[in-house]
Formats: sequence, structure tokens, C-alpha cells
Amino acid sequence: MKLTIGYLYGDLMNIYGDTGNIIALKKRAQWRGIEVTVKNISIGDRIPTSDVGTQIDLYFFGGGQDQAQKSVARDLAVSSKGKVIKQDVERGVPLLAICGGYQLLGEFYKPHHGQKLPGIELFPAYTVAGDKRMIGNIVIESMFGKLVGFENHSGKTFLKKGSLPAGMVICGFGNNGKDKTEGCIYKNAIGCYMHGSLLPKNPKLTDWLLKKALEVKYGKDINLEPLDDTLEFQAQITAIKKFS
Amino acid sequence: MRLFAAVLLGKTILFLTKYFKIGGGSAAPGLYALKLCPSLVEKISHHIPKNIVITGTNGKTTTAKMLAHFAKASGLRVIRNHTGSNLERGIASTLISKVNLWNPKLSFDLGIWELDEAAFNTVTPKLNPNSIVFLNIFRDQLDRYGEIDSVVKKWEQSVKSLPADTKFFLNGDDANVSKLAKAFKGKAQKFGVENYKIYGEAVAKVKKQENVDFEAKNVKLNGLNSSKFTLTIFDKRYAITLPLPGIYHIYDYLAAFAAGISLGFKPGVMNGSLKNFSPAFGRVEKLDFGYIFLIKNPAGATQVFETIAPQINPDDRLLLALNDNLADGTDVSWIWDVDFELIQNSSRAKSRDHTIVVSGTRSYDLALRLKYAGIKPDQITVEQDLKNALKRAMDGLEGRLFILPTYTSMLELQSILTKEGIKKHYWKESD
Repeated sequence: MKLTIGYLYGDLMNIYGDTGNIIALKKRAQWRGIEVTVKNISIGDRIPTSDVGTQIDLYFFGGGQDQAQKSVARDLAVSSKGKVIKQDVERGVPLLAICGGYQLLGEFYKPHHGQKLPGIELFPAYTVAGDKRMIGNIVIESMFGKLVGFENHSGKTFLKKGSLPAGMVICGFGNNGKDKTEGCIYKNAIGCYMHGSLLPKNPKLTDWLLKKALEVKYGKDINLEPLDDTLEFQAQITAIKKFS
Repeated sequence: MRLFAAVLLGKTILFLTKYFKIGGGSAAPGLYALKLCPSLVEKISHHIPKNIVITGTNGKTTTAKMLAHFAKASGLRVIRNHTGSNLERGIASTLISKVNLWNPKLSFDLGIWELDEAAFNTVTPKLNPNSIVFLNIFRDQLDRYGEIDSVVKKWEQSVKSLPADTKFFLNGDDANVSKLAKAFKGKAQKFGVENYKIYGEAVAKVKKQENVDFEAKNVKLNGLNSSKFTLTIFDKRYAITLPLPGIYHIYDYLAAFAAGISLGFKPGVMNGSLKNFSPAFGRVEKLDFGYIFLIKNPAGATQVFETIAPQINPDDRLLLALNDNLADGTDVSWIWDVDFELIQNSSRAKSRDHTIVVSGTRSYDLALRLKYAGIKPDQITVEQDLKNALKRAMDGLEGRLFILPTYTSMLELQSILTKEGIKKHYWKESD
């Protein structure tokens, strides 16, 4: 089997170990004999669609610094990328967006000064600049069990009515430090604030993304071969115990 | 009077911490004395004839130590915050420990102050330095400083208000640092290494090598021991042997040398003194049975791996220690930006199947990173307790042991080595 991972703006949005998530996806696929190609999709590039080239089977979108985030927001707005990503997510393609990437896939980001940065409206959520940075370890309860990561954001994200959080905060701030929600989930797309890196220590989530990607690509149920995750779960449990 | 009381308080705390052995006394005396007299640093430091400030993410301590070495070789008396405590309290602590209570006119010719990226903005005006050196900016403890863009923006603001006659030295290979020249009223001087650029956090990529004033050319790295290169300053050339490994130390040398020139030191005296230079505490340390290399952020750690990977023999071992205390950075995500794959891909390591010991408060994160870098889990031994980890790593050791700790692990390691009688002094600094 083969998989193509689309690393959205990987050259600009790759802060706080985001690359670790790509490493985890790649390795866990390779250990099962699945061939992986990682495609960086940046400013000026086009996302391959069914009529041109190989389609993207799984998206990853990391966080970036303010300046990078502005250029990326502009590019998402003027290029066709936003439209293609949304179409792909509608057909079930999994996506993981963290921090800046998560914010840009919402409805908008409102900075302290200046104009709103428009998002592509994939997640029914919006983000408002906050005064205080929300920094620290975070543990949430989710459909993948407990997940652990590290958050570092000043933007406060609010979910719109009827939208689903990725999980509920056990310790940490989460979306906005108030309503105990963390992240957002829409179809097979997940947005959240968890670095850490997130995927290596939370292999259930990683495998879920891979499984969904293969199922959409090959149009059948996929059961991933189990791996020896002793180290992964030790790392996860040690961190969860330490912080919650 | 307030100053007098503050210094007295600081000295008392210093005495107590040393007497009861509860720390190195590099932060607490200054912290409390500053509460009593907030202007302590400017009041005392203006008695020092010349002051130099060194900032950046990596290499501050080594650069400061080398410049102090050059100054001493040139006959100057130096005061500096050599313990790596590079916030205002560290400087205050140094001043307190060295100041004569009855006569604050210090008997020093030169103050060399390393400041961390954020402290630079608030402390530099208080020190009113004659020279300033910017080394580099990398992702470091972003959980503490915020983002690199905002650090650089604050630097630009601070640089704008510097007097035009400040001697101003910039790393020309680091785009984020190099652009500070535009914010500076006077003329900046730049240093760099031929065919080498730093991509710390630069969004805009550097397209071509900048012209620099101090340049290292024809670089030849000599393993774990040294490097050789030609130092070029305008039309002058010097053949240099630097007794430190890796490209990153060449930048530290260039910065120290350039600052030395601004102080009127003779190139021959500085370069001649290099053979007696020993690296800064715990940054790179040669032990009887191996080496210690401090790792603290992606750029620095990757440079360390680039330096050691080709040197690791099959019977050598590795001990890696990752802590997540405040001084290490509480976010351990950074290990995923380090090229750990280099250990596995080194040509000599191919035949190696020995154990790598990982330790520290986040040892499992480190073990996981190694697993995903392609190292087999049965090669990895996890031992959270550093003392036990060291024992495991040294037991039956035939080759050398490479120890790579984060900052607080390094401090803990030094104390273990001393207690076990493996190293004589916990704090051996000749200055």
C-alpha cells in the first residue's frame, strides 16, 4: 500500500517539533510496509487533485510564527488550496492541524490590532487574540483515550454551536482556558493546540489517522497490523501521571 | 546607603549559600539585593572602565570565556558572570561577590556580560556597554521567550536606541541577526564562516553569502579536538588552530576575536593564547573516560551530533539526559527538531549494536525519539535516575562514553561526578 502525506506549508509552519508528527506518521506506516511520500505544499504550489497527479491521502498542518502565519493566511485565501482541502475533508480524507494551522482552518483569527485574518471555514470555530500566553503541559480525554501534549498559544479559540471538540481538558488550558474544550473535530479532520510532539506519544491517534487515510484511498475497511508500542505508552503514561 | 545595604544583604546570602552548600550562589544574592536596590547594576557597573555585552541563543558562555582569556593574555583584569547565570540577577550576583563594600570602584578593567535573549533588552541600557556582540538566534526555550520573530523585533527596538559609537558585532551568517545592522545608527561589523549559513528561524532564506569583516575560510574540522582555518580580515590573513570541535565554536571564536580587536588587543596575542584555552563549564568537557556535550535546543544539539557522529566508534557508548525543568525549557517538543537520525546514519555506528542509555525527568520522550530515529528499542536503556544511568553506562565500558545532558541534567551530572570522585571540583573556573 502507498500513502501520500500533504505537509501544508511545512517550510513555514513547523514550530515546536511539528516535524515529529510527520516522523511518527511516516515511521508507523513504514513499519507496516506501507510506502509513504511526504509532499510539502507551500506558497505558490497547487494541491494535486484527482485530475492532476496523486491525491493527498492525509494532511498535516503545523504551527508558525506570526509573520509566517500571515503569509500563509493570505495564500490560503487567494489560492485554491482552501477549496481543495475542504473538498478532500468532505470525502473523508483525514487531517491534523495544530496551533496556527488549526486557527487558519477555522472561520477567522482576530488579532489585537488590524484586520481579521480569514480562515477557510473548515472547522466551525473562530479565534481571538488573547493577552496571556497559555503555556504548559496539557492532558485531555478524547475518543482516543487520554492524550498528552504541550500547548503554547495566546489565541483563544471558541467552538460554534453544534461543533465537536477533539476532547475535554483534564489539565491545561485547551481552546480558550474557559470552557474546558480542546480542539475541534469535523469528519476525519482534527484541529488542536497540542504540540509535544503530539503523535509519537499518542499512537492511537496516529494509527487512526493512518487507518482513515488508507480506507478512503482504497475504499475498504483497513485493519492496521499491531505494533509493539511499549515505549510509546510508557512515554504517554509517564507524562500523563506527571501532569494530571 | 540603599546600595550599601543591598550589597551587604547579597554578600550575606552568598556566604550562607556557600556555607551550607545549597547552591552555586549565582542567582539568589542578586535576586534579593535587586529588590532592595533596583539600580544596583548600573550603580556598580559604571565604575568598570569598559563593558561588553554578549547575547544570542548558543555560544554565549564560550564566547565570553574566550574573550576573557584574550583579555587576560593582554594584561587586563576581567569581571564576568561566568556561571552562565545570564539574567540581571546573575550580573548583580557577580558584582556583589566581587565588589568591595567600602569602595565600589572595582579593580577591574573590563566587564564581560552574557545576557540571555530577553534580558538583553532590559539590562543592556543599565550596563551602557562599549561593545555588543550578537551571536545567533535559534529556537530555544520558546515556552519562556515567545516566538523568535518577537525576540528579534524587540532586539531591533533596543538596538535603535544604542549610541552610534557602540562597537557593534553581528553574525553575518544568521539572517535574523545580520538584519540588526539596519536598526543600528552606527556601523555594524560582521563575522562569518565561508560557505556556511545559519537557518535558525529565518522565514526569508538567505540567497547568497554576505560580505563579512571577519571571515573564517578553508575550514578543516579535526574531529572532537579542534578545527583549523584561515581568519581573513580585509587583506590580513591568520592561520588559526582552534582547540574546540565543530563549526559552531568557530563562530564563538570570531565573535570573541572581533570584540578583542575593538578593545585594542593584538591579534598575535589573542591567537597565541588559544592553545591554553579550555572550553566553558560543561559545554564541551573532556573527561578521562569520554566527553560531555551540553545540549539545549535543536540547533545546538544537531551541531553536537554533526560533530560527534563521525567519531563514534563501535565500542563507544552514549548517555543522553533530558530534563524539563524551567532552565531546560518545560516543553520537550524540541527533541523532535533535533537530527537524532545522525547517530544512526554515521558510518562508524553501522556496525554498532551497543546500548544507548537515556535518563532525566523526560527519559521516555527521549527513548521514543531515538526509536523513531531508527534505533532499535532493545538498544535503548531507560534509567530515569541520572546516577544509576551513569553507572549503567560506565559498567564494562571499553570505549568512550559520550554524555549529552540538558542544562539541569548537566549540573546534576557535575555534582555526581564530583561526589563519586570522578572529577575533583564541582565548579572549576579559572576566572
